[in-house]
Amino acid sequence: MDTWFTAVAIAEMAIAAILVVRLARGPSVGDRIVAVNAMCTQCAIVVVLFSVISGRLVSLDVAIWLASFSYLGALVWARYLERGLK
Amino acid sequence: MISSDVTDIVVVILCAVGLFFSLTAAVGLLRMPDVYLRIQCSTQLVTLGALPLLVAIVVFAGPISSYGSRALIVAALLLVLAPATSHALGRSAYLTDVPMWPGAVRDEPRD
Repeated sequence: MDTWFTAVAIAEMAIAAILVVRLARGPSVGDRIVAVNAMCTQCAIVVVLFSVISGRLVSLDVAIWLASFSYLGALVWARYLERGLK
Repeated sequence: MISSDVTDIVVVILCAVGLFFSLTAAVGLLRMPDVYLRIQCSTQLVTLGALPLLVAIVVFAGPISSYGSRALIVAALLLVLAPATSHALGRSAYLTDVPMWPGAVRDEPRD
């Protein structure tokens, strides 16, 4: 099962690499934020898979942090785009 | 950890579903013509791409184990935060006058 999880993690990273194109090309700031957010989600999943593969429980806390704070950052960016730094 | 043939098959199927939808959502993020349609694709990447993978880990490790419970926490966080973030991003894009795709047929907030 560990081989399968490793393959899935590598495939997820390849999908995140596709999103770099949208991050570089995105015409508006919103496009780039969406791309970064999606990449962070993929990375959180890869960290979860990595912790299961390697048997280290500590990495799962990294995944929780990554998932919650990437979305928090996107929320703060959206608010900043709407109203400025108030 | 629970491991049997049935569990392995379920895990493989869930991972395949998650990978397929992640790939389609990434292609959608690349190909969609408009920021609003791209936001819709990113929501699909979370709800259909990320959640089956996390559920696969829960099935693999069992829901009460330390791995499965934290994977469930990540899944619940994603399920709550992704729609809120998509809504905020769409709203901010609309309020800062990001242009819509010319083929869009309706602009409900303006009408």
